[in-house]
Amino acid sequence: MQNNQQKNSQKEKLRPGQMSRPKNLNLFTIRLPINALVSILHRATGCVLFLILPVILLLLQLSLNSAEHYQTVIAILHSPFIKVMLLGLAWAFFHHFFAGIRHLAMDVHWMTTLMKARYTSKVVLVLGALATLVLAVKIWI
Amino acid sequence: MLIELLTKRYPGMRAWLTQRLSALVMAVYSVFAVTRFLIVQPSNYVAWIDFFQPLWWRIATLLFWISLCIHAWLGIRDVFKDYVPNPSVRDVLDKLLVVSLWIYLIWATWLLLA
Repeated sequence: MQNNQQKNSQKEKLRPGQMSRPKNLNLFTIRLPINALVSILHRATGCVLFLILPVILLLLQLSLNSAEHYQTVIAILHSPFIKVMLLGLAWAFFHHFFAGIRHLAMDVHWMTTLMKARYTSKVVLVLGALATLVLAVKIWI
Repeated sequence: MLIELLTKRYPGMRAWLTQRLSALVMAVYSVFAVTRFLIVQPSNYVAWIDFFQPLWWRIATLLFWISLCIHAWLGIRDVFKDYVPNPSVRDVLDKLLVVSLWIYLIWATWLLLA
């Protein structure tokens, strides 16, 4: 106990740059709890959705521009590779949507205990996957 | 108390609330848009044009897009704050972000109202 206190007082004397902070730069050694996973995916999907904005605007403009351009957009959206990309983006949207609702719920102090937060994290992941699955069925059948 | 937190003395609180309010607007619009799309099911060019013809729909879509730009600005700015430690690099990125979002906003406004 006394030894510990001595150590602590020694640490306080060190300047910030000299402090021995734990460094863990290998991201794969960090095991993310499920709520942290949902949270970081919320951020990552948000970035992806931001990056795709100009493409969405361009496609919308083309599709409304003329009948020919509309057909071009439809043809683009029907190619298998684009369909897979579209599903990925749709998942990003669904995850961001459901995880966002979860964050809003927590902001009004709903579902904030650890057990409930873990449970809603699972719900968010399942809902995102389910919505994507429904869309996949819809665009392939 | 709550009103005081929303004055200029607490810009972080304003940003926090703005992020949530814009999220709510987008969530409501998204649910509505998907529902309307499923009901109308525009399957050709004329139907697609008709889908975007009503003025109230264009205004709702524009409102969604304005919320989106504000939401993206606050969100991506936070990402830069977290992962870009160099202040001058972050400043450049912040400016690029604002410029691109203004371009998207003007583009969308022109698309929906012109």
